[in-house]
Parts: sequence; C-alpha cells; structure tokens
Amino acid sequence: MSVLLQQLANGVIQGALIALIALGYTMVYGIIQLINFAHGEVFMVASYGGLATFTLLPDDLKKSPAVALPLMFVGGIVVAVVVAVIMERFAYRPLRNAPRLAPLITALGVSVFLQEAVRVWYPDATSNLPYPKVFPEGGLSFGSVNIAWTGVLLVALSVGLSIILQAYINKSRMGRAMRATAQDPDTAKLMGVNPDRVIVLTFIFGAVLAGVAGVMFGGYLSNINIDMGFQNGIFAFTAAVLGGVGSIRGAVIGAFIIGLIKTLAGQYMPGGTQYDYVWIFVVLILVLVFRPQGLFGEPERVRA
Amino acid sequence: MRKHSVKSAAIVGATLLVVAACGSNKEEGGTAGGSCDTSKGTLTVGVVAPLSGNLSALGIGIKQSAELAVDEANQKCTVKGYKLTVSAQDDEANPAKGAQAATKLSTDPNVVGVVGTLNSSVAQTVQPILRDKKIPQVSPANTNPTLTRGNDFLTAPKRQFDNYFRVCATDDLQGPYAANYLVEKAGKKKIAIITDGKTYGAGLAAELTKQVTKKGGQIVGQETVGEKDTDFSGVIAKVKGLAPEAVYYGGEYPAAGPLSKQMASAGLNVPLMGGDGIFDPKFIELGGKEGDLATSVGAPTESLATAKAFVDAYKKKFGKEDYAAYGAFSYDSTNAIIGALAKTVDGGAWDESKRDAMLTNVGSYSGSGATGEIKFDQYGDSTNKVLTVYSVTSGKWKDVQTGEFTG
Amino acid sequence: MSTVDTSSGKRSALAPFSKPLAAVGGVLAIVAALLPWVTFSLNDGNWPDKSTLQFFDAPFALTGFRWHVLLLGVLILVAAFAPIPSKGRVVRALGWGLTLVSFVNAAYITVKGGGLGAITALDGAVAFGSIVGLVAGVLAILAGYGIGIEPVGEWKVKVSTPVAYLVLLLSFAAVLYAVAAMLTTGGVGASNPYAGAIFLSFLGFAAGVLGALSGVGFIRWLSALSEQHRVFSVIVLAACALLLPFTDAGNEYWMTVAANIGIYAATAIGLNIVVGLAGLLDLGYVAFMGIGALVAANFSGAATAHFGVTLPFPVAAVIAAVVAGIFGAIVGSPTLRVRGDYLAIVTLAFGEIFTRSAQNNIGGITNGSNAIPGIPPLSLFGAEFNRSVSFGAVKLPAGVLYYILIVLLVAATMAVFANLKFSRIGRAWIAIREDEDAARAMGIRTGKMKILAFLIGAMLAGVAGAVFAHKNGTVSYESFKFLESVTLLAAVILGGMGSIPGAVLGAALLFVLPEKLRDFEDYRLMIFGLALILIMRFRPQGLIPDRHRRAELADEDIGGAPVDEVHGVPKEAKA
Repeated sequence: MSVLLQQLANGVIQGALIALIALGYTMVYGIIQLINFAHGEVFMVASYGGLATFTLLPDDLKKSPAVALPLMFVGGIVVAVVVAVIMERFAYRPLRNAPRLAPLITALGVSVFLQEAVRVWYPDATSNLPYPKVFPEGGLSFGSVNIAWTGVLLVALSVGLSIILQAYINKSRMGRAMRATAQDPDTAKLMGVNPDRVIVLTFIFGAVLAGVAGVMFGGYLSNINIDMGFQNGIFAFTAAVLGGVGSIRGAVIGAFIIGLIKTLAGQYMPGGTQYDYVWIFVVLILVLVFRPQGLFGEPERVRA
Repeated sequence: MRKHSVKSAAIVGATLLVVAACGSNKEEGGTAGGSCDTSKGTLTVGVVAPLSGNLSALGIGIKQSAELAVDEANQKCTVKGYKLTVSAQDDEANPAKGAQAATKLSTDPNVVGVVGTLNSSVAQTVQPILRDKKIPQVSPANTNPTLTRGNDFLTAPKRQFDNYFRVCATDDLQGPYAANYLVEKAGKKKIAIITDGKTYGAGLAAELTKQVTKKGGQIVGQETVGEKDTDFSGVIAKVKGLAPEAVYYGGEYPAAGPLSKQMASAGLNVPLMGGDGIFDPKFIELGGKEGDLATSVGAPTESLATAKAFVDAYKKKFGKEDYAAYGAFSYDSTNAIIGALAKTVDGGAWDESKRDAMLTNVGSYSGSGATGEIKFDQYGDSTNKVLTVYSVTSGKWKDVQTGEFTG
Repeated sequence: MSTVDTSSGKRSALAPFSKPLAAVGGVLAIVAALLPWVTFSLNDGNWPDKSTLQFFDAPFALTGFRWHVLLLGVLILVAAFAPIPSKGRVVRALGWGLTLVSFVNAAYITVKGGGLGAITALDGAVAFGSIVGLVAGVLAILAGYGIGIEPVGEWKVKVSTPVAYLVLLLSFAAVLYAVAAMLTTGGVGASNPYAGAIFLSFLGFAAGVLGALSGVGFIRWLSALSEQHRVFSVIVLAACALLLPFTDAGNEYWMTVAANIGIYAATAIGLNIVVGLAGLLDLGYVAFMGIGALVAANFSGAATAHFGVTLPFPVAAVIAAVVAGIFGAIVGSPTLRVRGDYLAIVTLAFGEIFTRSAQNNIGGITNGSNAIPGIPPLSLFGAEFNRSVSFGAVKLPAGVLYYILIVLLVAATMAVFANLKFSRIGRAWIAIREDEDAARAMGIRTGKMKILAFLIGAMLAGVAGAVFAHKNGTVSYESFKFLESVTLLAAVILGGMGSIPGAVLGAALLFVLPEKLRDFEDYRLMIFGLALILIMRFRPQGLIPDRHRRAELADEDIGGAPVDEVHGVPKEAKA
C-alpha cells in the first residue's frame, strides 16, 4: 500500500514538471500549429542557465538560499526566453507560410543544435552535472511515504502558474488577442491584433514556464544532463496531445496522467521500469488513433 | 540588411585581428622529440574511441592518455630510430563507424597497434578487421568477457581473436568479487539490482547475480533505468517496497550519483554499490552518499607510484584531470603497444614481416602501469586480477579491502 | 553559392570598374600562387605544396592548392575578357572559389601557426600569399557584380547522338575523376595532419569551377542532354560507379566507407518515399533498418542467433524485407486517423520503443546489450565478400565485392523509387502530400496509399538492414538510435526531398564530410542541426531539387530562377 502511495506521489510530482513544459507546447501549437520540437531543449537550456547563474554568483551569496534561489530562477528564465525569442525570430518566423513539414524539420534542427551547443560549450556538460544545494532539504513523510520539499514546491508552482496563465488568457486583453489569433489569424489581424507580437509573447510565456521547470528540475533531482530536454520534451508533448493540443487545462491534466502512467506502469506492468516509456508511447498512439483531438480538445478543424 | 552584415563582419574581423595579433606558436629548435634519433621515420599508434557525441568525455580521455604515453615514449627514445604519433579515429560509439575507423587504420602500413574501443559492441566489428591485418588491439575499457573467451566464457573459454588484448577487468571478475564482499563481509543478504541496460552494467549485474545466489544471498528485484534518465523516483519506490539491504547498480557514475542521492531522500537508506564505472570522484559530487561502495581493478592508487605519476603528467600536459574513467587504462594499453614495439623493432627496421612478432610481444608484455601490473593471460585478458573495494568515507573514496577473486 | 541579393535589374555602381577589377584580381591570383604562404615551418610539419617560405623557384611546378589558385586566376582573366554568356556569374563564381581556397588555407595556417604571424611576416620572413589570394578573390567577386549578374546562359547548341554520347561520357568520366580526387585528396592514412585543410581547399576550388560551369550554362545544357538520352546516362553513371574501385579511391578504406554510404543511401531512398513523396515525416525510420538487420542476423548462423536455422542470404533478405514491411504497415496505420506532425511523433515513439525493446533483449532475439556478433560475411562461389579479389592480373582491394553488391542494391532501390514515383501510386502520394482532402475528393484511397508508402519504405530499409548486418558482422541496438533517424532525414532533406539522386548525394555528403573533416568532429552534430535549420530557411528544395517539388517549395519556376525576389511580399498561406 505504501508503495502505491509513494508511486502516486512520485507520479504527481513528475506530472507537475511535465505540465510546466507541456504548456509551452500546447500554447505554441494552439496559435501557429507548430510542434515546437525544440521546446524541450529550451527547458534544458534554462536548467543550465540557472546553474550558470549560481556558478557566477560571489561566494557569500552562494551560501544564502534566499538570494541565490530567486537569482537562479531569474537566470534560468532569462536564458530560456532569450533562446526562445531568437529561435522564433530566426528559425520559425521566416517559415510561417512554408509547407508544414519545413518548420517541423527546422524544430528538429534547433533541438539537435541546442543540445550539442550546450554539450560542446558548457564546461563539463558532457556528463551529468550536480545542481547546487540551495533548495530546501528534507521533506514530508507519512509513514514510509516520503515527499521532498522540492517536490511539493514543484507541484505548487506548476498548479499555481497554470491557473495564472489560464486566467491571463481568459481575462486580459493580450489573452484575448491570443485566443483570437489561435481561432482565425487573418480575422484577428484585421481586428488590429499584431500576430507577430502575439506569437513572440506565446513563445515567451512558454519559455518562462520552461525556465521555472528547468531550475526546479535541477533542484528536485539534484543533477542535470543534456538529454533531459529531449526526454521530458517527448513526455510533455505526449501530455499536450493527450489533453488536446491547444487546451491549457488539457495539458495540465494530461501531464499528471502521463506522470502517473510512468510511475505506475513501471511498478505494476510486465517488464517493469525498463518499459515504462513504452507504456507512455502506447497511450500516445492509442489516443492519437481513437481520439486525435485529445481529452479536452476540439476536433481538428479543416482550415481553409 | 547588407550594411548591417558588412558592419558586423568588420567588427568580427577586427576582433579576430586583435585577438590573434601577430603572434605564433613557432617552436624554436625544430620539431618536438628532442634529441632522439628518428631517422627511420614515423610509426603510428591508432586510437578508436567515441570522440563526438555523448560518450565523448570518455573517448577523449582515452585519446589524450594515449597521446601522453606516446609523448613520453618519444622523449625517452623508447623505440629506437622512430618517432611515434597517435592517430585517433572517431567511432561515434557506432559499430559501423568503428569498422570504418579500423579499416582506415589497418590500411596504413605505419600503424603498429590500436588502442580501443570503448564500447564492446564496437569492439565486435573492429576485432576481425584488425585481426586480418595482424594488428594488435588493446582495449582499455571493454569488459564483456565474450570478447576474449567466447560465448561460453565460464564453462568452455576459447580465445576469439589472437590480436585482441585488454587491460581492464572483465565483468565475471568484478561482479563476483563485489558479491562476495556484500554477502560475506558486509552481511547484506537481500540485494536489489538496478542497471542501465548497457553492455557494461548489465554484464556486471548478471555476474554478480550468479555469485550472490551461490553464496546464499538473495536478489530481491532487478530493475533497468534508461541510460539518459535523471529521475529515478519510480524505480526507487519500487525497490524500496522490496526492502533490500543493499542496492547494486550496474552502470556508470553519471546515473549512479543522482540515484544514490535520490535513494536517500526517498528514505531508502541502504548502501549503493557499483563497479569501476562509478569509482570516480564525480560520483560523490553528483550525490554519492557515505557508505556507498565500489569495486575497482588493481590496488589502491595511493599505493601505486605509477598511478600518481600518470595523474601528474596528464595534468601537466592537458591542464586538467579530464582523463575520465578509462584514461589510466588507455595509458597502460598504449604503453603495452609501445613496449612490445620497442622489443619487436629492437634497433632494426619496422616492416610488414614484423607483425607476427609484434603480436607475440604484446602477448608477452609485462610492465607496471598506472592501473597496476600489466600482463596478459592466454586469452588476452589482463592477469591483474587484484581488486579493491572502496567506500565513501567523509566525502572521499577510501579503500576497505584489497584482494584477488578466488571463487 | 552566395546569399547576397542578386538584384539583376539595376546596373551596379561598380560597372565602370568591372574590367580593371577582374584584371587586377586575376593577376593578383597568379601572383598569390607564386608567393610563399607560411612564414615558418609549422609544428606539425611543413604546409603542403612547398608553400612554406618558398617563392616560385625550381623545380618549376605548382601542385595542390597553389596550382588551383593559379588556375582560378587564369580562368578569371579568360572569363572577363572572352565573349562568354553570363560573364558576371562566371567571374563571381570563380572569385568565390578563389576566396574560399585562400580563406581555408589562411584560416588553417593561422590557427595551426598560433596567430596571424604565420601568414604575414615573422622574424624577417614574409608570406603574403593567402592575403593576396583573398584580396584577389574579393576583387573578382566585385568584378562579377560590376559586370552584372545576368540570367544563366542558354545554350541552343543541338548535337547529334554520337556527339551527345561522347559529351556525356566525358562529363561523367570527369565526375568520376573528381570524386576519386576528392576522396583521396589529403591522403588516406592518418599520416597527413593537414588533410582537412587540403580537402576543404579542394572543395572551394571545385565549388568555384562548378559555379562557373553552371553560370556559363554548361550544367543546364548537360542536364538537358542527359535527360534526352536518359537510358545511356543511367548506364554510364552505373558504369562509373562500378569503376570507382579502379581509381585511386579503390582501396579498402574507401570501399568500406562507400559501402556504408550505399547502405544508408538505400535506406534514405526508402525514407524519401515516405517523406519526399507521400509527405509523411518519419522520425523513427532507422528502426526498420534495425528490424531488417536483426532478422538477417538471426538467420545468419551467428553463434548467438536465436533461431537455429541458417538461411541463404537472399532468403533472409526477403524475410527481413517482409518483416520490416509488416512493422512499417503497423506503424503507418495511425495515419488513417492522424495527420502530419502528429504522425511524426507517433513514428518517433515507435523508434524509441524499438531501441528500448532491442536493448532489453525482447523475446530473446536481439541479445540485448551484448548484440549479435560474428555474423559471417557474405560469400558467392566461395569468394568471401570481405576479402580482396583478383580478376586476372588486376587485384582489387578487400571490400570491393560488398561495394559492387551495394551499388547494385542502390541502383535497384533507385529503380523501384523511380518506377513508383512516375506511376499511378506515386502520383497519388504526391497528391496526398499536396492536399490530402483534395486527393480524397479525387477518389484516391488516401489511407491505403499512406500505409503503402510506409510498407514499401520499410521494406527497402529492411533489405538495406540485412546487408548492413552481414557487412558489419554485428547487430547492436546502438546502431539504430534516434540520431541515426535524424541523420537519414538530414540526408534526404539535404539532397532534396522527393529527388532520386538527392538521397544518394545527401547520404554521401553526410558520410564523407565527417571522414574528411576530423578537425571538426566535436561539432559534427551541431553542424547537422544548423544545416537542417539553414536548408529549410534558404534552400528547402535541397541540393538536387526534384523538378515537381521545387516549383512549390521554393516559389521557383521549373528552371530554378526565383519567381519573386523581394522578401516580405505576402504569399498565400498554404495551411
């Protein structure tokens, strides 16, 4: 029983992390119908950005988590946003009217490039790097079930930020512009919405969330490597599809489902942990085949 | 647009000019190698290792350590009349590319031996190519026993390739030695196994499993994690439910360190043990905790003057200690080739007819290297069967037991 | 060649100076060829072609890059003052070639020499060859713009069939010679520390000459000619491919590389059916090759093969193709419901499932991380394919039989591809790629056609995988990871989606360049990623565009000239 509870807790924490990344996928897809394959790498770069910020801090600041931690978040987010904006401006924007395959291949290229750039140019990035110990240590424990404070923080941040995002998109003027562009870019443009601004902003929002996720990932797992972006990116993408691409609520719920599938399948399905990815992909394929619009998405519109 | 690019090109150009200035790295007094007689030409030691991609840290460690050995030989005039060079070929950890690299080296008449590979799967394609040209291959890192002794390596060992040697210990030595320590010395009867599913880790774990059962211990569970994973919470929760007294990890330190740390924070406070793949200071940096264990080949390095000399020389040549897990082994492999070459040439000239003698001389080579005594048995395996168990004590690896595996 | 705007309309301000610029550029190039290039003997040994501190003195022969520089200089002079079509383009191309050759050598010497002292003046020695060469190159480029960039020359020359055959024969022979020269330049062994520079310099020279030939209209004329005599061209091309072993490149090493290229090229052609023709992005394609290899390995009689039976290779290859094809159809089946980018993720997921399962020795057929080693090489009438063979007095290097087998394999896949492409099925695929709904409305059974694309693509990969297994002697899951799929995709995209020779060229480049440019091996994958981005941005139709495709991908007309030069003109959205 305690194993089940522990796995449920693990699943929820993983889900929270995936949700932060999945939101970036789902927003970008909702607006320009692009699977931003490189979004996972933005998350990875953010994690290294946070680490670099910490390394650059003077020694006395390194010792006070109250200063170091927020600065790391800022560092990670700034790096993520810069990378995302450059990527949008120079890789995707010129291809906005190209055939659909073109930006997808570009995204793949960006993904490989970012991963390799970090590997070659970040010191010692060829192997896993330890993350600084500025995060709260220890955690909650209920009997034999342990939940690290970083995990609790991750879930709180993930849920909190997605609620704020949802509210922003529903309530604010810019949010309305985003929804309008997603529904019909041409009409939105006629109504005075600047699509370039909306799209850049979407990328920025995605990058901010990925930045938070990147730094929290390091804090929760205490180490990072260059492959983390690809792997979690795939999970996040799957979550976004499961929830219905374009839907904020869907992405978050999808992410928690994916997190739970991963831990529970590793525990209870035949083949154990070595096949836990496989079950996620099986779910992905089943969803795509039987309910391509996802759990909360609208059926795909055929665009004129 | 154009003006911009012209301007930025000018800025870049100017910066380059300033940076490069008018300097040069011209060396006074001709080429390196100093006073040795190199009148007979240049001979090449090949290296086949992954120099790009995500295993490149290990591959580059292998390459640079080989370069160090060759440099030292050139300075000491080890091979009379010849200058030695290293030709490092990238195998991208891909067997097909490994075959290509081996072919490239094997068509060069000046290649006297090859150091490599890192991956056992790449070794499988490299072995036959080099055998056909009678080029000795000394691996610093292949631990799969089948490479030397065939599929039935325990019951009916049979030499596979007469040109293949290795200086590292095979899985069937290290695994059982660790098992003996865990079950008999540390008294851990219930052991859970986690591997990364790669040749090294899975092989090690398989050999450990056999010995644990033989000694009356119990394997309570076996799990595999992805080689790129960073989140082990699922595996740990599963293993924790089995209440093991120790966890054996078959794999390398990049995953082992975080695994150990995450075990502790998930409340699974048992020691983690691994092979020489986790015996690295980085393991502790990445989260390896007090009481974690590792086996490694040879006697403790502090007791070996040669090991310390290697580390110092490496640091002097390359500025940092990035020789990685297999640097010392690569250094020893290279020295075995150089030593055998010196004996083969012995003041004479190198030619194709010397290849048979070269193979024999590598087989009979003996010397003391950075990892201990270097000698090969009838299968091409290292005779250095001394193993040491280390434990993490106050943030450092400390040896707790040294001995030979006796069954 | 260049990415600079080619605004053909207005006359350049450089126009009055164009002839003097070209003259000075050409003469300077000749001077540069005769000047020394390096001020001292570099630590890795002298820079090639006697260029260290040597002026032009006895023996009076120029070799290597100095000869190329001289040749380019002479060609610039000839082009600028002889009556040839599209003079501006030719001079500009030659100028670029000159610039590249000079730049490559200058950059390498500077880096290897530890500073600019190596290519300027140091300790009383002077060596301004590379700088003069660079200046000459830039002058020639400017001269080209001054003369004016006119449309590529049109040749109206009609020739009789025998003459056409002769021209084609000579041209293909020249291509064969160029390929062999390119492969062997800089030496085969590990001996030459400057092999990378020599190769890049040669590439710059070749690019300049090719650009000039294309500018003058020769290339277009030649391709029209070969189109006219298609059968003859194909035969000559195949003969050239089979003649490669008899050139300088005919050694064991390049035969191995060429065989590997061939295997990946055959696989890339299969992928081209799925991606290029049917427009379905497959990110897990290498898994089918893996399946083919595993099937062949298990029937090969290797010690760790799962099945006790040893089948002859052709039978095993057929089984490999069938099994891979079945998996292809299974993977393709979600296409019935899923479109475009979603499908890419499904295929990626499938690829990951394949590697994961293979690594964990699923069903005992992959031997997990130990791989299946010791697969016997193919043999025919007792001749093992990995040994050297001799025909009478001619001794061919080891690996030549594999090379021939693989050339035939590539030729066969090309034939399959060409036949499909111009058949009813191929037109259906292209229709689906362009507009699936319209295709369906026209009565094409889109679901069936898409699965067929996957099935045939997977079968080709399966056969290639079977050859791969025997050629390499071992089958490990490590050969079939995600990055290999990306490599294959990059080969297809680089060469040109939907284009038959494109996939072969792409695969060749992706194999030969890393072999030749060891100095950059750490950046290999990064350059890959960057190349994908840049190709999609600047030349989405690839190096050898498919004629149907280039019209719609790059807004070019059939001839390749841009339809509309000005950026920012809104185009109709295709989505």
